[in-house]
Amino acid sequence: MELNTTVAIDEETSVARVALDGALNTDTAPDFEQRLQEVIEGGYQLTVLDMKDLDYISSAGLRVIFKAAKQTTSAGRRLAAANRKPHIDKVFEILKALPDMAVFANEQELDDYLDAMQRQVKDN
Amino acid sequence: MIGNSITTRLIVLLTLSAVVIIGSGMLLDYRLSSEQVLERVQLESQDAVRAAVTDMEHWLDGVEGSTRLLARILQQRDYSHEGLQQMLKDVVENNQDIYGATIALNPSQAGSSRGFAPYYFHRQGILTYANLADEQYQYPEQAWYRESVAAGKPVWVTPYFDAGGGDILMTTYAVPVFRVDGDGQRFLYAVVTADIALAELEAFLRQLRQGDNGFGFLLSRTGIFLGAPDPDYLMHHYADLVSSTEGLERWSAMFKAALHGQIVSQQIPCPQFSGACVLRMSKLESTGWPVGIVYSEKEILAPLRNYQFKTALISLLSLLIMAIAVVVVTRRITRPLEDLARTSGDIARGKLDTPLPRARGSDEVAHLIESFGSMKKDLKTYIADLETAAASRARLEGELGAARAIQMSMLPQGGEAIETTEHYCLWARVRPAKSVGGDLYSFYRAGNSLFFAVGDVSDKGVPAALFMARAISLIQQLAGTGITPALAMAAVNNALESGNDNCMFVTLFLGVLDLENLELHFASAGHTPPSLHRGDSVHSVEQDSGPALGLAPNLDYPDNCLQLQAGDRLAVFTDGIDEAFNADNAMFGIEGFNRALQAHRPCTTASTGAGLLQAVDNFAGDTPQSDDITLLLLDIPAAGARSVNALDKDLQRSVRSFTCGERLAGEVLDWLQALLQKTAGTAEAKGELLVAAEEIVTNIHKYAQLPAAASITVTAESSSELIVLEVSDPGMAFNPLQDSTRSTLGSATAEAEIGGLGIHLITTLTDQQSYRHEDGCNILRVTKLLGS
Repeated sequence: MELNTTVAIDEETSVARVALDGALNTDTAPDFEQRLQEVIEGGYQLTVLDMKDLDYISSAGLRVIFKAAKQTTSAGRRLAAANRKPHIDKVFEILKALPDMAVFANEQELDDYLDAMQRQVKDN
Repeated sequence: MIGNSITTRLIVLLTLSAVVIIGSGMLLDYRLSSEQVLERVQLESQDAVRAAVTDMEHWLDGVEGSTRLLARILQQRDYSHEGLQQMLKDVVENNQDIYGATIALNPSQAGSSRGFAPYYFHRQGILTYANLADEQYQYPEQAWYRESVAAGKPVWVTPYFDAGGGDILMTTYAVPVFRVDGDGQRFLYAVVTADIALAELEAFLRQLRQGDNGFGFLLSRTGIFLGAPDPDYLMHHYADLVSSTEGLERWSAMFKAALHGQIVSQQIPCPQFSGACVLRMSKLESTGWPVGIVYSEKEILAPLRNYQFKTALISLLSLLIMAIAVVVVTRRITRPLEDLARTSGDIARGKLDTPLPRARGSDEVAHLIESFGSMKKDLKTYIADLETAAASRARLEGELGAARAIQMSMLPQGGEAIETTEHYCLWARVRPAKSVGGDLYSFYRAGNSLFFAVGDVSDKGVPAALFMARAISLIQQLAGTGITPALAMAAVNNALESGNDNCMFVTLFLGVLDLENLELHFASAGHTPPSLHRGDSVHSVEQDSGPALGLAPNLDYPDNCLQLQAGDRLAVFTDGIDEAFNADNAMFGIEGFNRALQAHRPCTTASTGAGLLQAVDNFAGDTPQSDDITLLLLDIPAAGARSVNALDKDLQRSVRSFTCGERLAGEVLDWLQALLQKTAGTAEAKGELLVAAEEIVTNIHKYAQLPAAASITVTAESSSELIVLEVSDPGMAFNPLQDSTRSTLGSATAEAEIGGLGIHLITTLTDQQSYRHEDGCNILRVTKLLGS
């Protein structure tokens, strides 16, 4: 079981998009944690975890996300999850994990939100 | 700005008042006094003038008197020429007032054509004789002779320069002497004169000097200066002195008035120097000559100005001294106030140790300082007390929090339990009303018996919690010993009764379920009867109960027996549920509970439990929870589900051992994943099983404290419908189902605990879980239905 992480950054709107591909389990969690940590330290206003290719998540992975969420919230920034697959969703639900984390059910919602952010940036 | 400081205000106001009061007083005094001074000055000058005038009058009177006496003598006596001359000499010699005198006989009486006119005068102090009866002089032509004769009475002659006579500027008093002849006709006999030198007037006029520049003057009846400050003026008309036309008019007017005997006084521009002068004129009574003084008002008023200046100086000085005094006194008095104001500012900012100014005397300020001091002390004490109280409250809350954690850990699975096996699903929950409570549940599966209990200690809070701790440890000791519920109840009762001075008690429901035949033996000590949901109906279980535990020793408790069936749902609860009050003081009641239980028929055990508690909360509304709430649900699975066991025969078995290295979880997952690819079942179910497996293995890896060389064994038994996973580890005895710390689910990011999630996943993602300890190994067994 493996995990590929890709990071795409939009400096203008201060959005970082972290796409997960594969399985986030005890084995793959440490590396993912490191990658995610780097992105968090970039200090972007919004970090989106794009989980459309994430097939598997266990408590180890959730722990990493928890930690990242705590970090971003205390710094006044946001962490969001997008495109969660149903069984990934279920795990989050069972654990009632991070009820206050923003969730984008699909790509459209995410795009709408990012557009709105861009417009805000342009207005400022 | 002025209003900011009481000191400044006092000083300014007092000084202003002083200035006004003293100023007014001094002004008034000045006004009055200056009038007096002016009066005095004027009086003085008037007196001086009067004295001078009087002196002059005397002198002139003297001169007139002597001359008229002489004339009278001549009128009545005859004298020879020698006699006359001698008499004249005597008069002049003995009369220093007279400059010179002459007896001028009417030439017709003189016995000679040239006449007879001896003249004696004081030339430079020496008595000198001059004969006026010479051709050059022609004394009958002289003004003094003619004017007096013409007037027929004594006259003062216009001043002139007596050349050939006295050779000085003089004026003459001429007295004509008339006799009556034998026929009774009047005839002129002689003219007797006395001369006065104008220079002699000077001495008198000097007395008329007022001030440095003032001067006196004497005018003849025609306006010629007889006496003037400047000798050059003598013999000049006054018009020569005055420069302006206007001044001349004034002078003339005054001259005329003075001639008439009036005393006039006017302001004129000072002759010879700038400024305003006063001109006063009157006339000498004897000679009728206008006499006047000119003085500079400024000079005369010098004493007044002096006085003004002195007054002003004294006023200023006294005001200054007064101001200083006011400042000093005010500051002395208000200094403590200022200090107090400053100090109170410090105290308000929290510096309670700032020293207060010293209280001097016993006036209001001192009182204020004293009050402040005691207030400060009280404040300090109060704040210290508050801090102590807050600290102990915080400590107490901390302790209560710790106590709650401990209490929850006494309960199986920490106060929120779920246990699913092939025989039953048990769900239990305790919700204390305060931090700690007196409710309890317990359960224990030993072999084919399930021991479970629900209890409620009287009251709530810390005392109940402590009693609950005693009770639950007693109960848990008896679990799994095979003792019957009735006997167990009696034993617990005896144990609790001893040393129970506070008379606390506990109601308890204690049951043992035989998992083979589903016979439930139970005993109840004053506990609310449980509710049984069978089929479509819910009713309370009939029970033969005994008294609550802990009050009396050696009690017997009846044994109850209830036959359970597949599909039954038993709910054991405490009265915190049925005696929950709402705002109208209505109780939830057992009926209400039973209705809610029935409504949850299709729900799983866990969701039923949650739903029932939610129903109680909905009923209570805003009314706070008044008693501890406990609910235990025991589901006997429906007949179909039990066929799980029947599937055991068709199972395919795979076993594998893994070493506890870093990649333990990965290896297990890889293996399991490969295995699952060959089995039936939905991808979702398989995925969930993988997660569960990972959690189990990760937990072992983290907590079992196994050396890297140790190994765990994973057994997978699969059929077309389910898969059973068993994980065996040789670590220290640990039942993850009961003993793991479970994190509170659903907390927001900030409060969420990051650990303790695995066990949740294990219990929710699998359909059954069980644990046993065999041969020194922990064996955790989970079953997952792979179906739809």
